[in-house]
Amino acid sequence: MSTAHLKLHTKPEVPLEADVLNTAKLAGLSQSGIEHLSVMHGNEKASLGDFFKVTGKGNSEIRLEGDLSNIKMIGAGMSDGKIVVEGDVGMHLGIGMSGGEIVVEGDAGDWVGPEMSGGRIIIKKNAGHMVGAAYRGHTTGITGGEIFVHGDAKNEIGSGMRRGFIAIGGNAGDFTGVNMLAGTIVVLGELGIRTGAGMRRGTIASLEDAPMLPSFEYACTYRPLFLRFYLRKLQENGFKRKIQDKHLNGIYKRYSGDGIELNRGEVLLFSK
Amino acid sequence: MSEAAATNTPAKTKEENKNIKLVNDATCTFCGCVCDDMDLTVDTDENKITKAKNACILGKAWFFEHTIDHERPVAMIDGKEVSVEDAIEEAAQTLVNAKFPITYGLSDTTCEAQKQAVAITDLIRGNIDTTTSVCHGPSGMAFQGVGEMTMTLGEVKNRADLVIYWGGNPAESHPRHFGRYSVMPKGMFVPNGKKDRYIVLVDVRKTKSAGVANEFIQPKPGKDFEILWALRALVKGKKINNSIEKETGVSIETLENLVDRMKNCQFGVLFFGMGLTMTRGRHFNSGALLSLATDLNEYTHFVAKPVRGHGNVTGADNVVSWQTGYPFGVNFSYGFPRFNPGEFTTTDLLSRGEVDAAMIIASDPGSNFPKAAIEHMHKIPVISLDTKPTATSKLAHVAFATSTYGINTSGTVYRMDDVPITLRPAFESPFPSDEEILTAIKNRVHELVKAKRYRN
Repeated sequence: MSTAHLKLHTKPEVPLEADVLNTAKLAGLSQSGIEHLSVMHGNEKASLGDFFKVTGKGNSEIRLEGDLSNIKMIGAGMSDGKIVVEGDVGMHLGIGMSGGEIVVEGDAGDWVGPEMSGGRIIIKKNAGHMVGAAYRGHTTGITGGEIFVHGDAKNEIGSGMRRGFIAIGGNAGDFTGVNMLAGTIVVLGELGIRTGAGMRRGTIASLEDAPMLPSFEYACTYRPLFLRFYLRKLQENGFKRKIQDKHLNGIYKRYSGDGIELNRGEVLLFSK
Repeated sequence: MSEAAATNTPAKTKEENKNIKLVNDATCTFCGCVCDDMDLTVDTDENKITKAKNACILGKAWFFEHTIDHERPVAMIDGKEVSVEDAIEEAAQTLVNAKFPITYGLSDTTCEAQKQAVAITDLIRGNIDTTTSVCHGPSGMAFQGVGEMTMTLGEVKNRADLVIYWGGNPAESHPRHFGRYSVMPKGMFVPNGKKDRYIVLVDVRKTKSAGVANEFIQPKPGKDFEILWALRALVKGKKINNSIEKETGVSIETLENLVDRMKNCQFGVLFFGMGLTMTRGRHFNSGALLSLATDLNEYTHFVAKPVRGHGNVTGADNVVSWQTGYPFGVNFSYGFPRFNPGEFTTTDLLSRGEVDAAMIIASDPGSNFPKAAIEHMHKIPVISLDTKPTATSKLAHVAFATSTYGINTSGTVYRMDDVPITLRPAFESPFPSDEEILTAIKNRVHELVKAKRYRN
């Protein structure tokens, strides 16, 4: 299996929207075919070759190298294959993807995997705001798939999420799981304020204590069996540093809410 | 010069040497109240407003301190005086050749000028944003997210018997808001004025506005969302956690009493300010307040309205919404409008250094934006349209001096409750209006864009 290798030789002056950087668009293309794929450089059309040096042919794997922090929409609508980014990426990574895998060795911008329905995104460092979120004016965020952020993530993680799994290795910003419809968010570090505001169903778990909104009611302290499986899965996926045996076997405080909405969501906070 | 002002016949006063003109029912465009009952006395020899009947302290300052600076050139390129035509050509070339040009400001100019700015941005496939994004932008996002129960200030005057101000100090920022619309005036269903109304002020500081309030609620800073959320829960008959008093500084009894009052009023209104929209939580704070108003409509009639700051910032929202479908933070890179606050809002774009040209109209980001954003403005060509020299016009590549809306220029502005009001200017200015300059830039941009497309 060959890999298309794209190395950034010129950093775009203004943001580049490169939704062509996905396995389906590159599949079967020669080196020059890939270089001629068109991208939007601000308001002008440009080609991938203006910014990237391409080696190899388009196949089921793409490797990107360089500081791609102002390149947006990498892996947009991806359904299959794998993208590995050796560097940072810009906004809207994996927007609407339905399958395959994206691995980012550096940081990611805002809107990681917005409204995705399947597949997996792994960010090895930090992510911006709106991880796995709904766009403004939309009510439903991700409907499936997995997002793993090993570092910190900022506000509104999983806003409006309906299904799927989001794990944050570090700390989360405010409004984690806001307006959540269902699904699971696990934060190994600290949660910000106003977690789960407006959530209907779904689970938000953290290994640290957190301030709760007045509309959340303490339900019980118990040992949620399912969480052990989730944490084990995270351990297998490289989130080893923070997950200790006490977390696997420990007891958690359960808050139910949001009382203003359906009250069928839960927030689980590690107790001891 | 507008027809409206011209129809006001000049009247000689006792001072024979002076030419005095009266402009009745003029409009003050200083704040979002846009009071349209100003009676101005204008000294047409000196081009100065000498009396402004009905104006508040801010309005008086706005009218009296307006003078024409005859020394200031109409157009400058890199600080040197040039002809208007040359400056328009340079501005148009700069905008057309940019890959990510932005248009920003717009809140202190007429709707007619705003319309031209949207057209230019559309033609150059740029990014348009208004000062809304740094004031009530979060409210705009909240309208989209949860909806808005709305009204006009006339309805408030005639009907409201419960008025709640949240996170604002209108006594000092909008001095006539109380007297003209919400607290003092006698209305159809509130014949005794203030006596028929119950006024609540929610703010982290006891400001001058607290003087008119029947009840002052002082939460701890940054706890608005928690209180609004608790109120929503109480309105829905849900229990809330007892820790609320310790956390927010407001007792459950206070909240329960307020909920009782809100449910049992005839017509309730929530006015909210930037204490809510620009503190931690932003659009969720506005959203929580708007949702509270919506929830209360199961019991009575309840509305909510942001108290807007600049004279025509509401017009900016209306014009940009009407023309693009979105209120602010709109991008035209692909030739059609896309909306994404955080991505296409000006402070974010400039701070990230993603912009290669900027046209700033009637606002001064050069003095009040974050450091990273101002630094980036120094690196790119900036076109500025300003009535007075500002930090932005000083750093601008092309700077236009324009006339002041409401004082020198006619046009339309929107009051904070989305009611359009026509301006009656006081006297003429030697400077062109924003609309004239923007129309000229638009026409030139149109020619250049057509030529560029033909070449390609």
